[in-house]
Amino acid sequence: MKTLARLVRLWRLYTYLDFMLMTRSLKLFVTFLITDTIFNIAAVTATLLLAERFNGIGAWSKFQIVFVVGYATLVGGLLDMFFTYNILFISRRLGRGQLDHVLIQPQSIWMAFFTEGFNPFTASGSVLVGSGLMIWAGMKLQISVSFLWGVSLILNVLSSMAVVLSFAFLWGSLAFWAPRAAEEITTPLIRIFSNLKSFPFDGLGPLLLAGVTVIVPVAFMAWYPSRYLLGLDASITGATVTPLAALVISVFAVLVFRKGLEHYGRTGSQRYDDLGHRS
Amino acid sequence: MLRKYWKTAALEATGYIGDDPMFFVQFIFRFLRVIVLLSVWRMILANQEINSGMSLAAVLTYTLIGEVFHEQLNPQTGLAWALLRGKIAYSMIQPIGLVEQFSSKMVGHWLFNFALFSIPLLLISPLLGVTPTPVSLTVAFLFMLSLLLCISVGVALDFIITALGMVYFEQTIYAIERVRTALTLLLSGAIIPLAFMPWNLGEVLAWLPFASTASAPLKIYTGTGDPWFTIGVQLGWSIILWPLSHWLWESNREKLVSFGG
Repeated sequence: MKTLARLVRLWRLYTYLDFMLMTRSLKLFVTFLITDTIFNIAAVTATLLLAERFNGIGAWSKFQIVFVVGYATLVGGLLDMFFTYNILFISRRLGRGQLDHVLIQPQSIWMAFFTEGFNPFTASGSVLVGSGLMIWAGMKLQISVSFLWGVSLILNVLSSMAVVLSFAFLWGSLAFWAPRAAEEITTPLIRIFSNLKSFPFDGLGPLLLAGVTVIVPVAFMAWYPSRYLLGLDASITGATVTPLAALVISVFAVLVFRKGLEHYGRTGSQRYDDLGHRS
Repeated sequence: MLRKYWKTAALEATGYIGDDPMFFVQFIFRFLRVIVLLSVWRMILANQEINSGMSLAAVLTYTLIGEVFHEQLNPQTGLAWALLRGKIAYSMIQPIGLVEQFSSKMVGHWLFNFALFSIPLLLISPLLGVTPTPVSLTVAFLFMLSLLLCISVGVALDFIITALGMVYFEQTIYAIERVRTALTLLLSGAIIPLAFMPWNLGEVLAWLPFASTASAPLKIYTGTGDPWFTIGVQLGWSIILWPLSHWLWESNREKLVSFGG
């Protein structure tokens, strides 16, 4: 309870800081809001254009694709909202020797990571766009929204976020051992998620499906959850696969990150670059 | 005479491998991304012989070659970051012009990626069920010409957008860069061929300078566009954009350097 109260207190603090950053200059605020929105729309426009051109993709109808795109945008937007300042791109912080910024704070590393990257105003654009697309698709598809469906949606969104974040931490931890070479290792990873998050993977063979499920679990960012939420896979497996994946990957990520921390405790970092952290 | 450019490129190319072979992991992720993209196209175009003038085989080749030449089709010099971080000051005191210096660095970056990603991808492409070769030798020659013009247009755009971004959005150049990258990828036809855009959007976009980057050489390579018309449009944009870029840099030079320093 005490931890939760501190979490909320820190989020409130960073909300204020983000608000101050935005209101410092109207031009700055508008530029950030517009560019963020354009970036996130552009990232999914290719899929939407293909869905429009071919009246859907594979077995998915046009508005089912809009739902997938909206869901993926919402998850991406929430990750941007909660884990910016290179928390998501953790290898940059580790590779640049910026972990010490966190270690000298009178709080746990996890508390810092869960709060320091919070910027609700700057990153609101894509959350709004994603939510809007989901509502639009939901209305067109006449989804019957029940309490249980709402809970499933929230659980799946949180799980999708956990999958991406954990995967970034899992691989990003390599920067503990190779700060120069692995500094940007999360960049191509997140790029894969950005590029492929809004495509349905129904037509993939078993080997490739394993690739997007296990090797780079991009299928959990929107495809698996959307299948369940749209009623295309109403089985128990469909309902639980994304939360279970989130759990498994999170455990692995924590173990590897802790191992990296132990290594860091012995060696520290010989590099330092001040770019990118919350200052 | 070319030694200084080559040395700059070589420094950039070898900078990656000074620490640890861990950098190799990122290329595995890139390979996986290409394989999934090819599968997605197969799914979208299943049971469609020809669509918008492009067969499935042509689309697969378009996607694969787009990834092989990804850096060349979307050339970025890194100038914006140098300005943002003040590193432009070091560049200004080196005995080599800015355009040549940043272009050399860019080429060095390409060499590294070409050796570790592009060539292996080309080699394994038959295993992925993609024909990587152009339709004829003439087309191969025209593709190289178009690729050079694509780089010319891309670098000019990079200098123009950076100059404008630094002057008018100096505190948000990171955001501007993100948007530039996302829009360029979309409007240039790097992600989906312009022919597959709905509402005839592709025909309009084909006239923009962005299409003179990715779309133009890839259309030529896959034999799905009129090469001479495409090259003509690229040449036209190159002729328009380079003087504009030069003028913008000359008129904003002092302001840009003051931000950078």
